[in-house]
Amino acid sequence: MKKIALFVTISVCLLFSSCSKDKESEKFKFLTTPTWTTDQLLVNGVSADGPGELLAGFKGDASFNKDGTGSFGSYSGTWRFSSDESQLIIQTPDVPLPIITDIIQLTASRLEVTTVFPNPADQTNPYNIRMIFKVK
Amino acid sequence: MRFALTAFLLLLYFTMDGSAITGKIRGKVYDNETRQPLAGVYVIWGRNLGTTTGDDGGYVITPDSGRVNITFQFIGYETVTKSVFLRTGETIELNVGMDMKLSEIDQIVISANRTEQRIAELTVSVDVIKASFISENHITDAQELINKTPGIEVIDGQASVRGGSGFSYGVGSRVLALIDGLPVLSADAGNIKWQFLPLENLSQIEIIKGASSVLYGSSALNGVINFRSADATNKPVTQFFTEAGLFGKPSNKDWVWWDTPRSFFSTSFSHLQRFGNTDFSIGANLLIDEGYRRLNGEKLGRISFRIKHLNRKKEGLSYGLNLNAGYTGKKDFVLWEDAEYGALKQNSLTALGLQGDFLAVDPFVSLKKRDRYKHDLRMRIQSSGNRFPDSEKNNSNALSVFAEYQGWFRIHDRIDLTAGISETYSNVRSNFFGDHTALNIAGFSQLEVTPFHRLKAVAGVRVEQYSLDSEKDKIVPIFRTGLNFQAADYTYLRASFGEGYRYPSIAERYASTTLGSVKIFPNPDVAPESGWSAELGFKQGIRIGKLNGQFDFSAFLSRNSDLIEYFFASYEDPVTGIPEVGFKATNVEQSRIRGFETEFVVTRSTERLSTTVSGGYTFIYPVEYNKSSQQATGAYLKYRRKHSGKISILTRWNKLESGLSLYAKSKTLNIDDVFLNPLTREAILPGFYDYWMSGNTGYFTIDGSLGYKISDPLTLSLVVKNLTNTEYMGRPGDIQPHRNFSLRLTGRF
Repeated sequence: MKKIALFVTISVCLLFSSCSKDKESEKFKFLTTPTWTTDQLLVNGVSADGPGELLAGFKGDASFNKDGTGSFGSYSGTWRFSSDESQLIIQTPDVPLPIITDIIQLTASRLEVTTVFPNPADQTNPYNIRMIFKVK
Repeated sequence: MRFALTAFLLLLYFTMDGSAITGKIRGKVYDNETRQPLAGVYVIWGRNLGTTTGDDGGYVITPDSGRVNITFQFIGYETVTKSVFLRTGETIELNVGMDMKLSEIDQIVISANRTEQRIAELTVSVDVIKASFISENHITDAQELINKTPGIEVIDGQASVRGGSGFSYGVGSRVLALIDGLPVLSADAGNIKWQFLPLENLSQIEIIKGASSVLYGSSALNGVINFRSADATNKPVTQFFTEAGLFGKPSNKDWVWWDTPRSFFSTSFSHLQRFGNTDFSIGANLLIDEGYRRLNGEKLGRISFRIKHLNRKKEGLSYGLNLNAGYTGKKDFVLWEDAEYGALKQNSLTALGLQGDFLAVDPFVSLKKRDRYKHDLRMRIQSSGNRFPDSEKNNSNALSVFAEYQGWFRIHDRIDLTAGISETYSNVRSNFFGDHTALNIAGFSQLEVTPFHRLKAVAGVRVEQYSLDSEKDKIVPIFRTGLNFQAADYTYLRASFGEGYRYPSIAERYASTTLGSVKIFPNPDVAPESGWSAELGFKQGIRIGKLNGQFDFSAFLSRNSDLIEYFFASYEDPVTGIPEVGFKATNVEQSRIRGFETEFVVTRSTERLSTTVSGGYTFIYPVEYNKSSQQATGAYLKYRRKHSGKISILTRWNKLESGLSLYAKSKTLNIDDVFLNPLTREAILPGFYDYWMSGNTGYFTIDGSLGYKISDPLTLSLVVKNLTNTEYMGRPGDIQPHRNFSLRLTGRF
């Protein structure tokens, strides 16, 4: 009986030690703590958040929840970092493709990301997108 | 006085030379079924006197004259006791045949700890597929064989153990395939070349379920499948089969595109023989499969050869060479034409003819002393080539040289040490992936300790470094540990934890092409995958009268990070810089899988009737996991099913043999968005979305077999696969075979 108790004790310790939590990264805390609001939404250096413009749907508040869900302007969906946390990937059913953005700056008060998106009208001149958020 | 002197001298002589009052018993110990000699059998007589048999199964003992009781003991075999009367100076020849224990828990496996061990005493879950299963079920493809194992699904060539993998378009594998313990993944795509895995001359296939990288390195993140060759025996064995089969009509008659039934043909030959101290085996297989889908046929040839020599002068020294080679001409199925009428017709844009070849040459040397040490030095020189006559830009040739030293040492009655070093050099010459060289160097060590009777503890560590084109990746240290406790005569408890990792294949980093309407982008920066798995298990042997078998239960948990998946999005073309839409290998997935698995096998045998019932059920809960928040995201992992199960019954009665197997799987939980997204779905797989919305349900299939022993060496058998003509799908667009019939003539001499 003692041997079985020892086996169970060691096994449980083994499993619990394997379930130890990783620490939250600084970028994760910066991104998920505040509610953000858009500061600038630019396409090829020009504001593009007016009615009917390419980034109009992103205008407004954005929140990145800790469980990986989020709202981004009028869209809702999921977000994730790339493995090295250099990219922010947003997926929403309202946009046909995942949006893979490069994180230019992420601090407690500012989030700036960029991406390049195909331009169906002129494939040789894609959309260079820059989105800047500030804490609400 | 003279008589007294003579008697005294005789007494003195016998006292000084003990051999004069003893005799000699010698002989060989062999397996009763295979007639193969058994090395390492304990031969015990008297009180605490004993020896072990040599590599040729031979033994010599010199007991005192008189009645001698000798006990022969060997792991996995029934103990045999013989009683002989030995006269002084006499030599008795006593050859002994031993029967394997019928109990399933006494099966011997080698993969779990890289040394021979009883399956019941392992710390991890291991499934064993016996060679007879291949023949009984008319299996000619290793992929189909593995797919029939509980808890494993092979989706278009990619194996997933307990949901550890999804589907990533044919590149990379989180399950490592081995032939006789040596890795057999291709050096370029890092995938398993299923068609070239030998099914001839196998002893058994062992499957480790869970992370096994400590012993086997990169790619054993999710498990290991080891195809073990059979050794030659004193009695030559020749086997062959020839098989022909036909596909029926699918349940959806609109999909029929052929005028005459589609057929397949396969034939195989193998021979095992021992010449003195040299084992020799040869095998060959030929397959011609028209395919049930248009532009998806295959012609395959495969040979295997093995020679192993036991050195007469140096006891325990053996060396030899294995060779496996194959050639295939085929068209892989990529995309269908449309769901309504063309689900069994390949889109002509993706139907590329492939000429593939494979060659693996494995020299080896082994030196062992029973219960003291074993040194193994092994190599695999492997070459594989893919040639696409109509698309030379996709051609690729890969060469890899794997070398490994492994030592096993019994450093104390209760402590065994296994340690080794290995290297893999890979050279890829490819229009598809570019030209690359890679080097992988690793060292590993494992201690197995028996702190007290009935408890075994295992702990191991591995350090590995990978470099690609002379650019070194970081050194990876990983660990494993486990316990096994025999709680009662036939009851074993186990617990284990193991880490795993996988370096991206060259294809995942550098593949750049367009397949039909699908563009593939390279990603040289994609990072290695890593993870761990843990399990608690319970194995119960069953032995009640003529009933014999086992029951196994395990609860498991695994977590993986940076899993690579082909992510559909907009990416900049590496040459033009212009963003385009397509797939790219990306570290996007974190996973957490928990679940449980039960397996059982029960056999009841009488002289004329033998019935075996076996089966298994696996439940998994596979979710995406946010590494930063430690929370599940609520999304299921792609290409996984929660429930899968199997139950089989096999009956042998006189000359008749019949089998019935039922396989059940629940629906696929999630797939790539690209197949569902309104922007892309019709361009890639026309009609798939509607088909999926209505057709993604669980399913079950039944296979049936009937065999008749025509004469002692010859058996004729009929197998019907997918008896219920169930329509079901693997990955999107990959409709699985409908009902088909095959007739096989098997011979064993």
